[in-house]
Amino acid sequence: MPRRAMLNTLFACVLVSMISYGCAGHHDKKQVAEPKVSQVENKQEATYKGKVVGKSNKAKTISIEVGKGDAAKTVMLKFDEQTQGIDQAIKDHAVIITYVKKDIGLYAVSVKPKLAKLPDGVTEIKTEELAEYIEAGEDIYLVDSRPTSRYGQSHLPDAVSIPVPMLKDKKEALLPEDKNKLLIFYCGGPT
Amino acid sequence: MSTASAGLAKKMGYQNVRVYLDGEPAWAQAYLPTYATNNFVKNGNVVVIDIRPSHEAVEGRIKGAYSIPYEQLENRVDEIPRNAPVILYGNEEVMDAVEDLRDDGFKFVSLVKGGLKGWIKSGEAIETGPIYNTEIKWVRKLGKGEVSLDDFRKAASGEDKTAIIVDARTKDEVAELGIFKNTINIPLDEIPARMDELPKDKKIYIHCSTGARADMAYKELVKHGFNVKFLLLNIADATCDCEIIRP
Repeated sequence: MPRRAMLNTLFACVLVSMISYGCAGHHDKKQVAEPKVSQVENKQEATYKGKVVGKSNKAKTISIEVGKGDAAKTVMLKFDEQTQGIDQAIKDHAVIITYVKKDIGLYAVSVKPKLAKLPDGVTEIKTEELAEYIEAGEDIYLVDSRPTSRYGQSHLPDAVSIPVPMLKDKKEALLPEDKNKLLIFYCGGPT
Repeated sequence: MSTASAGLAKKMGYQNVRVYLDGEPAWAQAYLPTYATNNFVKNGNVVVIDIRPSHEAVEGRIKGAYSIPYEQLENRVDEIPRNAPVILYGNEEVMDAVEDLRDDGFKFVSLVKGGLKGWIKSGEAIETGPIYNTEIKWVRKLGKGEVSLDDFRKAASGEDKTAIIVDARTKDEVAELGIFKNTINIPLDEIPARMDELPKDKKIYIHCSTGARADMAYKELVKHGFNVKFLLLNIADATCDCEIIRP
């Protein structure tokens, strides 16, 4: 089978079709908005940021997980044909929902994908480039930042498992001595 | 997660830090290989499949592996549980098998690092001789908040009087398809407003048609202090086997 040719076509499809929403379960402080529902008055727009837990077209309802750690909770909102960008509400994707309070409950005015913010000086790498590095046996240090159970089930070739809390704890001891070496981190992506 | 780690590495003084934002799912979607750890192969709730010709599997295979030679895979694909993590190993045909399964909608397909050779090299156990376990057995472990089918049936039959069932489907669906016994219909979108109809001193089992809405309703009720679980099952599935009050 001409796998190489097929892979290239697939790469193109994947690259074109994918937009980066950042990683599911992202817990960077800066990016987790506090729920602001208590201050919301009637008809006044407010926003929720978080991961889509589910969407039901039959019930016209979308659930989103907001907040962090113990404060994390799931919020349910109604939507209808007037809701903008409802197609962006994909399970496990991070979104920003603008909503108002109505008699029927919280109502989603619009749904937008939440784009991941990269730390200063850090750049994104896409599938094709990473696959080339791995195939060529380049001297990279590939780190899987997900919990160890997820790494155990399925990880990229030659990836090292370093969950975020472990890196916070042990720091440099887990990373290469050479500070110029190319480090690449990945996790569970938007899905 | 990955961006947080990249930020930490940058602070530690690493000069070349990049993030693969699309992550493991995009890698798998691009039909590229992913690997399971040997520990997961041995101890995970997994289905391990040897896709080499059967005589090779008879000569030696990973302990507990099922044998489905690649040329039989297409015909036997329905024997493989779709929600199970599936771990394959074989010869050069193994990546074709990974592609086929991922194409077929299997979400959790990965490989044994180094195949059988790599397995043996790491000192892991193999077995030899005829293969008797031809029927793939795999039972999904219940996720957080899930009710088992047994418990659900007991509530639906009235045997367990300490539980009630909430049907989160729309009124139209119930009118068309009927409803289980001992069940109240509160469509998902009405749950926030109608919560006070539900008892706090009983177990509440929620179902819908596939489990997606039930999961959402579960999260909403848990937040409000109810003793609640949800059924993750397509209720058209014959295994449900609960009596239905037809319209």
